[in-house]
Amino acid sequence: MFRNSLVRVASVLKNVAVKPNAPAAVRFMSSHNTESDEQFDNRYETYFNRTDIDGWEIRKGINDIVGQDLVPEPKIVIAALKACRRVNDFAVAVRFLEAIKDKCGPKVNEIYPYIIQEIKPTLIELGINTPEELGYDKPEMAIQNVYEIH
Amino acid sequence: MAGRLLALSARSIKARPVPLGAAGAHSNPALDATRAMIGNREIVGYGMNGQPHYYDRSDIPLPAIRWKEATADIKCLREKEKGDWRQLSMEEKKALYRASFKLTYSEFKAPTGEWKQIVGASLMLVSVALWFYMAVRVVTRVPLPDSFSEEKQQAQLRRILDLHVNPITGLSSQWDYEKDDWKK
Repeated sequence: MFRNSLVRVASVLKNVAVKPNAPAAVRFMSSHNTESDEQFDNRYETYFNRTDIDGWEIRKGINDIVGQDLVPEPKIVIAALKACRRVNDFAVAVRFLEAIKDKCGPKVNEIYPYIIQEIKPTLIELGINTPEELGYDKPEMAIQNVYEIH
Repeated sequence: MAGRLLALSARSIKARPVPLGAAGAHSNPALDATRAMIGNREIVGYGMNGQPHYYDRSDIPLPAIRWKEATADIKCLREKEKGDWRQLSMEEKKALYRASFKLTYSEFKAPTGEWKQIVGASLMLVSVALWFYMAVRVVTRVPLPDSFSEEKQQAQLRRILDLHVNPITGLSSQWDYEKDDWKK
């Protein structure tokens, strides 16, 4: 639903040829992409909902979806958080929430509260705190940059 | 490709951090080199490129290794982590986060003020260039020719007016030839 596409560059450089029999693609990506938004969401949700997923695959899946040009749908976020619970990794869940807030870009005040509101029941059920509740929305400590130690 | 092999072989031991010097861990020299680099840290993912490095990046949130080495209190926390997360206190939750990650998003994205260093250094270099320019202008100055003296300039102006230079829109149009003076 929330697709922040690079409209300025992409619309200038790419001509979107919408084939009549292809599902409507919202994003200006290469014409090879024929996956619809629902298929994309379902693919990731199914990936995280696998009962025998392990920590390695969760991290790869989260890195992948954070690399896409979009804010993940709440149902994908819920699936990922439940996967973190299955592998008993609390820190990954909090890190994913921070990454989602970062993905909202300049519209963070519109998108992030919506995401949190949608996933709140899951957060309460699993006992995951948002970064704000942990006090991580402001810098807590500073470490000297290793590249600037002379 | 070597990185992928390393990552695959590292993945097989990811849940069992091998202390340095343990016998039976020396069948794989690449693994020994990794262990020498990262110590006791658990390898938990593919990371950015398959290498077992830690980094804080906003576009790749989960690095390949945990931040802290597995000590006794962290192992204790991991046991608690297997239970209900609602039973964890705030300090324990923060300790779990800091065990896996060095800096939070707000910390590594915080402004560094580096732009002030850069602007300051650039302006200092620009001012040095301006000093050089002024020095060149001073050193290469020559005395003006004598045609620049006051009397000679007035004589040149008299000649321009006598020649009616630019009589329509220029200098001679401002001169009143009957009264022999500037027009009012």
